[in-house]
Amino acid sequence: MIETIRFWAIVVLVVLGLFFTFVSAVGVLRLPDVYARSHTASQTDTLGAGMALAAVALALGWQNATIYTVLLLFFVFITNPTAAHAIARSAAETGIEPWTPEEDGNTGQSQTEGENR
Amino acid sequence: MADRRVLVPLSESVTVRQTVSYAVQTALADDVDPAEVQIHLVVAVPYEADLPEGQDKIEFATSLLERAAAWVREDAGSHSHSLTIETEIVGDQEYLFGPRDYAKAFAAYADEHDLECVILDPEYQPGATAPMLQPLERELDRVGLRYDEAPVERSARHERLVGPGSRSRLFAMFLISYGFYLTLGDPTYTFDLVTGAAVAGIVAVTLSHVTFTTAPTLVGSPLRVVRFTLYIPYLIWEIIRANLAISLVILRPSMPIDPKLTRVNARVRSGLPLLALANSITLTPGTLTVRANNQQLIVHSLTQVARDDLFEGSLERAVRFVFYGREAAATATPKERGDAEVIGGEEL
Repeated sequence: MIETIRFWAIVVLVVLGLFFTFVSAVGVLRLPDVYARSHTASQTDTLGAGMALAAVALALGWQNATIYTVLLLFFVFITNPTAAHAIARSAAETGIEPWTPEEDGNTGQSQTEGENR
Repeated sequence: MADRRVLVPLSESVTVRQTVSYAVQTALADDVDPAEVQIHLVVAVPYEADLPEGQDKIEFATSLLERAAAWVREDAGSHSHSLTIETEIVGDQEYLFGPRDYAKAFAAYADEHDLECVILDPEYQPGATAPMLQPLERELDRVGLRYDEAPVERSARHERLVGPGSRSRLFAMFLISYGFYLTLGDPTYTFDLVTGAAVAGIVAVTLSHVTFTTAPTLVGSPLRVVRFTLYIPYLIWEIIRANLAISLVILRPSMPIDPKLTRVNARVRSGLPLLALANSITLTPGTLTVRANNQQLIVHSLTQVARDDLFEGSLERAVRFVFYGREAAATATPKERGDAEVIGGEEL
């Protein structure tokens, strides 16, 4: 009984992790500029990797390697925002202005559609 | 034979006072005729004087020189009337860039005034650049100018091995690294216990003063760790919520995004609390910290919902709870106290 629950919990976690990684990939392709893309790139690390690592921890059961998995997740949670911030900051230093819908009115709309194609 | 004619480059450092006093002591040593002693105090300005920021620097340098001249007179005591004190700003006619430029400027000044030796402040740091001492000494060697490093006691940045606070740092660092080592290893295996203690000892001695900016306390620090572990589930919950919201936005064919830059003045101390807050903001999809200058965060937000959450300041309250306790957490939201606003891209 418990084994079955564990099995399905692992499956659900892996599928959710895949889902968020997929969404993140879609977001990177669809969103208009570097800042907006940084938002969604972090999804892969937080919930994508998070769910997958949780599944790994569950699958391994109670042993040393499980602790490593949790530690791994902890470090991912520290490094991911640092990297996202570094990218956004260097974009700001380079002088890239964030894309806003009002600013360019109709062109903004067409830009979004351009990304949709 | 000690040096009678010395050049003392000054910068605003914690040890500048001691450096001046050392220069006076060595120049006046061995009962020399104080009339022969010349102490030249110079401040090197890294910018051209006609720029606006150069003007600030010049004023700053002048005030430092005035103070330093007063120190020299104070230290010289009864000799203060006979010795010569010269103050000068160097580099205001040129653009001093690296240690080589500084060394050249000092050498030119020393040549002009026939000076024998440079007394260096170990914390010498002109401008806002990286530590200068070692490259400057190398360049002074190249231009053939003799230098002497003032023996100073540093309190702020380089603490002595045993001092107030350093013992608790050492102990905390040892515990943390030992704990980490045993987590990765096997706590029941004697070999791991012994090697872990050795490694933790080395780590504690070499890195404890780097790791902690403030010395850990017996009650406060464990309490913060406990509150931090309470914070993690809350943060994960926030991350999941924000992830779902952003996923929906991205997957909607119309993609209703409304990206804007916002400025939020956070009510947390610089350093670790600000890092925790900025990191948490970036971890939640939909908000991304672009800049963090002291308490001022420039945050890029992807949707109106994410922006509202940010302005509600729930993460800020949680971080305040972790670092300052429960009472501090009950504070006004950034929106209520007017610390949150939407800004244009040109203000980056």
